[in-house]
Amino acid sequence: MSLVRFYLLLEMKILEENAGALTNFEVLDFLRAKGASKDPSRVLAKVAMSEYKVYDYLVKTPAGSQTRESVKEYFTAIKQHDLSEAEVLNVLNIRPASEVEIYHIIEDCEERFPDEEVTEIVEKVGNTLPAPPDKATPEEITKGDEETETQKHDEISQDQTEDGEQMDTS
Amino acid sequence: MFYLSKIEHKFALPPHLLARPIREAIQSELERLFLDKVIQKLGLCISVYDITSIEGGSIFPGAGAPTYQVVFNLIMFRPFPGEIISAKVMSLDADGVRLSLGFFEDIYIPTHHMPYPSYYISKNNTRKWTWEYGEETDEFNIEISNEIPSSKCELPNDSS
Repeated sequence: MSLVRFYLLLEMKILEENAGALTNFEVLDFLRAKGASKDPSRVLAKVAMSEYKVYDYLVKTPAGSQTRESVKEYFTAIKQHDLSEAEVLNVLNIRPASEVEIYHIIEDCEERFPDEEVTEIVEKVGNTLPAPPDKATPEEITKGDEETETQKHDEISQDQTEDGEQMDTS
Repeated sequence: MFYLSKIEHKFALPPHLLARPIREAIQSELERLFLDKVIQKLGLCISVYDITSIEGGSIFPGAGAPTYQVVFNLIMFRPFPGEIISAKVMSLDADGVRLSLGFFEDIYIPTHHMPYPSYYISKNNTRKWTWEYGEETDEFNIEISNEIPSSKCELPNDSS
C-alpha cells in the first residue's frame, strides 16, 4: 500500500461575515425573482421548501406590499433626519404607523428628536410606504381586550393583534 | 434581520450532478449543504444569493468527484438584540411563550421577560398568559395563533 495523502476536500472560509444588510423587501424581491409566489402550484418553482417558509412569513409583513419605487421614495425622504442606518432599516421593515412605535425602534428618541420631528417621520413613513398587507387603514387601538375577543374566534383578524404593540408601550 | 455573508467553500461535486450546467450544479450542491442550516457567527442560512466565482474542478487522486472552490453570498437570518419582530404564538406553558416565524421556530419568551405583571392561567382546556396593564384590569390575552410583535432582549445562542 503506497502512502496515500488525504487532501482536505471540505473547507469553508468566511470571507465577509457581514457583506451588507438586506431589507425585508430585498429578500422578498429576491425570492419572488426566483419564482416564489402565493399560488398553490409551488412544485414548479425552483424555490426550496425552507425558502418558501421565509417567503410566506415576509409576505405578511409590511414588506409584502412595498415596491421598489416606494422604498426609494422612503430613502430619499428619510435622509433629512439624523437616523442611523440600522434605524432606517428597522423603520422600513416595521413601518410604524404612530409615534409610539417610533420610540421603540429609535434609541434615545426623546433626546435626539423633538416631538414635531418624530411626527414628521411618522408622516413620511405613511406617505412613502404602502400600508402592510391585510390592513386597509393604519391601526388605531383603544382597548386591547376588545381586539382579543375577536381573535379567539376569527383567525383572519390575527393581524389586529399587532395593534397590541402600541399598547405595551403606552 | 437579514444580512449577506460572503463565503468561500471548497467541496467535491457529486458526479450525478455533472450532467447539468456547472453553475446550476454548484448552486444545487450549495443549497443542499447550507440551506436551512445554522452557521456559527452567521446565523440561519435562508438562501444562496449568488455565486461570485468558481475555481478548480480537478479530481484529486483517489477521489471520485471533482473538487471546486466557490466564492458565494448567502442570505443569513441574524436578528440583533433589541430587534422587534412579529411572530406567531406556537405554544405556551408556565415557563413562558414559544413563538414561531415559520422558518424559525425557536423563539422563547421566558417568564421573567414577559411584560410585568403577567400571569399564566390554565383552566379547563384553555391555556393563556394574561398581561394586566392599566388601572382597570385590562387584559391582553396571549393565546395560540395570535400574532404579537415582540422585542428581543437576549442574544440568541450562537450555535452551529
